[in-house]
Amino acid sequence: MNIAVCIKRVPETAEAAVNIDSSEKRIVEDQLVFDINEADNYALEEALLLKEKTEGDITLFTVGPKEADEVIKMGLAKGATCGVRITPENLDSLDSYTIAKLLAEPIKEENFDLVLTGCISSDAGNSQVGVTLAELLGIPHASLVINMEIEDDSVTVQRELEGGLLGELKIKLPALFTIQTGINEPRYASILGIKRAAQKEIKVVENITVEGMKTEIVRMYYPPAGKMAEILEGGVEEVSGKLCEILKGKGLL
Amino acid sequence: MNEILLGCIQCGKCTGGCPVSTRSTLNIRKLIYRSLIKIKDKNKDFGIWECTTCSTCSIRCPKGVNVVDYIIDLRSYEIEGGKVQPQVRDTLESVFKFGNPWGKIREKRADWIEGNGVNILKPGEKIEFLYFVGCTPCYETRTQEVAKAMVRVLKTASSNFAILGTQETCCGNEIKRMGELGLFEMLMEDNTKLFKEFDIGLLFTTSPHCYNTFKNEYPEIGFEVEHYTTVINRFIKEQRIKPKGNFEKKVVFQDPCFLGKQNDIFEEPREILGNIPGIELVEFERSRERSLCCEGGGGRMWVESESDAERLAATRVKDAADLGVDVIATACPFCLLTLEDAVKTTNLEDKIRVMDIIEILAESVNLETKNKD
Amino acid sequence: MTKDIFVIAEHRRGEIRDITFELLTKGYELSKDGGRLHTVLLGFQNEKMIDELKPFSDGILNIDDEKLKDFNAEYYQMVLSNLLQEKKPFITLLGQTAFGIDLAPSLATALDMPYAADCIDIEIDKERVYTEKQIYGGKISSRVSLVENWGYMVSVRPGSIAPKEGELKAEVTAITSPLKEEIDYRRFVQYIEAAKGEVDITQAEVVVGIGRGLKEDKNLPLMEEFAKSIGGVLACSRPVVDAGWLSKDRQVGSSGKTVKPKLYIAVGISGAFQHVMGMKGADTIVAINKDPNAPIFTVADYGIVGDLFQIIPKLNEKVLEVK
Repeated sequence: MNIAVCIKRVPETAEAAVNIDSSEKRIVEDQLVFDINEADNYALEEALLLKEKTEGDITLFTVGPKEADEVIKMGLAKGATCGVRITPENLDSLDSYTIAKLLAEPIKEENFDLVLTGCISSDAGNSQVGVTLAELLGIPHASLVINMEIEDDSVTVQRELEGGLLGELKIKLPALFTIQTGINEPRYASILGIKRAAQKEIKVVENITVEGMKTEIVRMYYPPAGKMAEILEGGVEEVSGKLCEILKGKGLL
Repeated sequence: MNEILLGCIQCGKCTGGCPVSTRSTLNIRKLIYRSLIKIKDKNKDFGIWECTTCSTCSIRCPKGVNVVDYIIDLRSYEIEGGKVQPQVRDTLESVFKFGNPWGKIREKRADWIEGNGVNILKPGEKIEFLYFVGCTPCYETRTQEVAKAMVRVLKTASSNFAILGTQETCCGNEIKRMGELGLFEMLMEDNTKLFKEFDIGLLFTTSPHCYNTFKNEYPEIGFEVEHYTTVINRFIKEQRIKPKGNFEKKVVFQDPCFLGKQNDIFEEPREILGNIPGIELVEFERSRERSLCCEGGGGRMWVESESDAERLAATRVKDAADLGVDVIATACPFCLLTLEDAVKTTNLEDKIRVMDIIEILAESVNLETKNKD
Repeated sequence: MTKDIFVIAEHRRGEIRDITFELLTKGYELSKDGGRLHTVLLGFQNEKMIDELKPFSDGILNIDDEKLKDFNAEYYQMVLSNLLQEKKPFITLLGQTAFGIDLAPSLATALDMPYAADCIDIEIDKERVYTEKQIYGGKISSRVSLVENWGYMVSVRPGSIAPKEGELKAEVTAITSPLKEEIDYRRFVQYIEAAKGEVDITQAEVVVGIGRGLKEDKNLPLMEEFAKSIGGVLACSRPVVDAGWLSKDRQVGSSGKTVKPKLYIAVGISGAFQHVMGMKGADTIVAINKDPNAPIFTVADYGIVGDLFQIIPKLNEKVLEVK
């Protein structure tokens, strides 16, 4: 089975302060640490598990700057076969649609049985690239996949719906799935593995300009301070006491 | 396969001395036996992640087999395969990304500093004493108190000291012992390069773990490395630090494995405690070379044991209760955390406090009499 | 060019989903710019749903076909791409839900239509459409413009619009389903309920929610003890389930359960919107978090900024004293 996995290099912003740069269209990236997008990491692991069962190749695709090679190398260290990085001239103004468009071209050239990617990115969070890509490739898709079983030329997948409900579908290959976190337990990429992977060649697609953006960021801004909780001040002892009094006063204890 | 093991005569002293063999599936002698006769049994759980790398086995081996290195080898094989427990993966990824095993961002590394602050070393600067705080005291709230106490004591010693602030990165001691040798090499190279940007007279650490690796595993470090207990003990002898306040308590000292067993520092911590007025110092039945491991080393701070049997730290705390002590003193952030946790689980919170030596000294030096009982 | 607004109704197992009414509320507001609001209902035996939807729009376009009973992106896309091509609405609205996420991106692509995902607000300025959305986990907001086109598609984040009662009387237009053959390459098989656990967190009056801040599963007993002392049950955010510390039936949030207890205490939960979706209906919300900038504090009534490992044991003590 030949599998394509689309991955993205994203900044870790869970704990870090995020600042907007002077263009108001980007964030300041200097202080941030980057990693493979969380959901993409689960998609990659799903591909690796399939490869172990059915043999075949995994090709990684990413749209990003030169530094995105880091996440490709991480994937190669874990067992992917080869990697393609796409770096258009107008990288900074891409939207989800043009990212999908850039991915579609090289993926179309090869006959993949399966295309996997994460169901959401931790930066833009559109949940858009995967399903758009499926349409551009002309293959069926399922998003938010939390379980998949392959039988011959079809796959039974379970999609995660709201409220803990799952929706089961049967889909014929070739197909594209966007993978939900928690579907598996991603493996570790050792530093020696990453160093060895550095010797593998990463195919680079550059000196191109993509057209046809559908959306554009007008400006970024800090979310307006909304309603704020009454923050209890004091030491551990004091705040614990205060909270107990409040809860007791409301008849909640 | 493993030249390390060729001297083994299967006497079993390693397993007999192994502190976790009684409470887990780890059996070092059997493990070596299987390797020597080349039994391949991939799916069996040999408990290699139970090992705390305390090194009792290596120290007791009559043939000088470095058993711990063998465990590290086995772990490194698993690490290279990638399919490790999530806690192992997350710890290693955190060190790779943020330079610490606690999953915290670098910017917050110096947030523990309070009040007047501490001199943070800038490139090109010369410094007599570099205090290497370590990941745990930088980020973990209980052991941040240890770093704060260290600063308070050092300030009274009118010593010329500084810290690295957010430039400080994991030393790699635990990383090596978790078998991530590539990451350890990377940390060693990065740290060695960082240290060369300054003119450092001497580096000392809060943790015996950082001390161990800087001292023994950084060939090009280029300056003296000490654990804080030896530096502070010297300061007391030189009367640069003067313990004055009474600390009227019965105290027992827990020898950290990476300080005692592995680096032969037994006297200095006891001398510091002996110089604090009021302390009645007693000893565990098993102390010094025979001291019982707290189970915090070898990555075990982040990897939970599979065993439900009593934790060694709990055994240790109960022993301390039998001695009737008020305080268990130690000189290692991991011992502090595991023992303090055990004091809670054994319901001895009202009777026993766990303190780092430097915290006791800080109370005495600063005449702080806020003893909590 | 029409200024009509289309809302694609979302339903499951015969029930209209809340997001539909949120979209209709926004759609009504947008339609005041000289257009009409239409609900587009794809389904099977839609009568009951039509009655419920009538007050919320000017018109209902009803496509009733057994193939549309359970959502299948392939069938839905076939029907909708035909319909939108023909009717040319100005804006088509969907929810950023398991339904919308599976449908909108490919539908917009098939129509070569600009599409903005996961928006919390929409604004029309002359012929152009602008949307507001949150990025980087809610730490940054972003204003997005859609490139000029005859029509636009926008998916809206659930919970971002407060639904209002409808006062309209929709005219229902039946549209013949264009679907002929069965699609064999994508078939809906069945719904599967998440396994029922021992505790039903939706029935509890006090819920203690724990998040990533718990760090390790060995810290669970601490939280279990606290939940017990305060007379509540333990629930969690998604990362806790992903890590395998608690089972899926304990998860609060858009992909988990919605709880409306008298008291919700969020411990070590940053407050990603997916989690907030599931607990914002609680009467009183308390947040305990290390990060003073954590979004959870904007949802909570009371907050404590600090280390949960210090606060919870102390709070536990105090609760037991007071009780």
